[in-house]
Amino acid sequence: MRNLYVFFRKHYFYFLFLLLETISLILLFNYNEFQGSAIYSVSNTISGSVNKTFNGISEYFSLRKTNRVLIEEMARLHSRIPEAFYMTDANVFYKKDSIIHLEYKYISAKVISNTTNKRNNFLMIDKGSLQGIENHMGVIIGNKIVGQVVSVSPHFSYVMSLLNKDSRISGKFKKNDQLVNVEWNGGNYRLGQVKEIPKHIVMEKGDTIITSGNSNIFPEGLIIGTISGFNNALDENFNNGEILFSTDFNSLGYIEVVVDLMRKEKEELKASFKTQ
Amino acid sequence: MTSRTVFFNIIRFFFLVFFQALILNRINLGGYINPYFYIYFILLLPFDTPKWMLLIAAFILGWSVDIFTNTIGLNTAACVMMAFARPFVITAISSGPESLLGDTPSLKNQGLKWFLYYSIILIVIHHFTLFYLEIFRFSEFMTTFIRVLSSSAFTLLLVLISEYILYPRGK
Repeated sequence: MRNLYVFFRKHYFYFLFLLLETISLILLFNYNEFQGSAIYSVSNTISGSVNKTFNGISEYFSLRKTNRVLIEEMARLHSRIPEAFYMTDANVFYKKDSIIHLEYKYISAKVISNTTNKRNNFLMIDKGSLQGIENHMGVIIGNKIVGQVVSVSPHFSYVMSLLNKDSRISGKFKKNDQLVNVEWNGGNYRLGQVKEIPKHIVMEKGDTIITSGNSNIFPEGLIIGTISGFNNALDENFNNGEILFSTDFNSLGYIEVVVDLMRKEKEELKASFKTQ
Repeated sequence: MTSRTVFFNIIRFFFLVFFQALILNRINLGGYINPYFYIYFILLLPFDTPKWMLLIAAFILGWSVDIFTNTIGLNTAACVMMAFARPFVITAISSGPESLLGDTPSLKNQGLKWFLYYSIILIVIHHFTLFYLEIFRFSEFMTTFIRVLSSSAFTLLLVLISEYILYPRGK
């Protein structure tokens, strides 16, 4: 017994190292699976409020740009209100029947922390479960995509940016509706990879990739980016391309969270099919 | 270790954590370089810091930075690894008792050569652990390796600049 004690005392440095290193590795790997855990929520709130204060200061430096974005957005919305249309048939807009349902709702939120320089990038926004945000909701800016919500605390939400190794967006070519996947391999935050393009598709530089709407995260037709390069592999079944993201991830100020009002219905339908 | 040293180390701790969280984490040069200057705290801990204290301090330091970057465990693991290596590095590169002059490792007391070896080895250990744990796959080995080397160089530059500013040579 005494020998054991002496042994531990002599080598305590190694044991302490192993203990602390194991704790941090366990935290590191668990954190990927249980992002909603208690510890996480607490530290989320602390760092959220500190980042919020600092952001309140740094916000002034980008006022000019924010104004421009807001004006552009206002113009876009103005062109959509009923008054902007020439009404050929008043019934189209005022008919309260069951044919037209609201499918998507948008919650606007402010980005309070954001990275583009890591291999896995996340943003934090200042709206949370109290404002109706839930996991797996899409996040967009204007008509461009940003990422999806992965963790929610009462006042803040954590958003996995498209610039993440776990991010995989289902997109399609605007010109012919062919489905592809968009990913990001690290490095330059402006450039992503387009995977699994069927061989027979003729690509050109500048082709627009939009969201497909297949994943129930984003509505259909949001712009992801444009093709900036591609390779025609001879021996494989699919070609790969390089995409220039339309979103400038380094200057996100205010974003919108997409609430799919029919998601529950879609998921239930899927689930009921599986159980049969 | 006097209470004055402890006090200065605590101040330095908070300063470096906030400096890292609020300013350096937003810096990204060329898509490869992210400086992690906060480890300067571990480099500057006094020689007579107990070994267990070294590990605990590194653990708390990494944890504090992790809270701000939302990567719980990542910086913590890298910092603990670095603190573990510190005593061995000091033993390995010190030739005689005269190289351990003064309370804390510094460019002024130990000389440029000693300090360069000391900081390069420890910074690379930290960055290597950090970047490879972040990626956690070998398919991007070379890209990550370039990130490790370029970021280490940048962190080293910051460390040397601070050494020259805080401890100017000559009286």
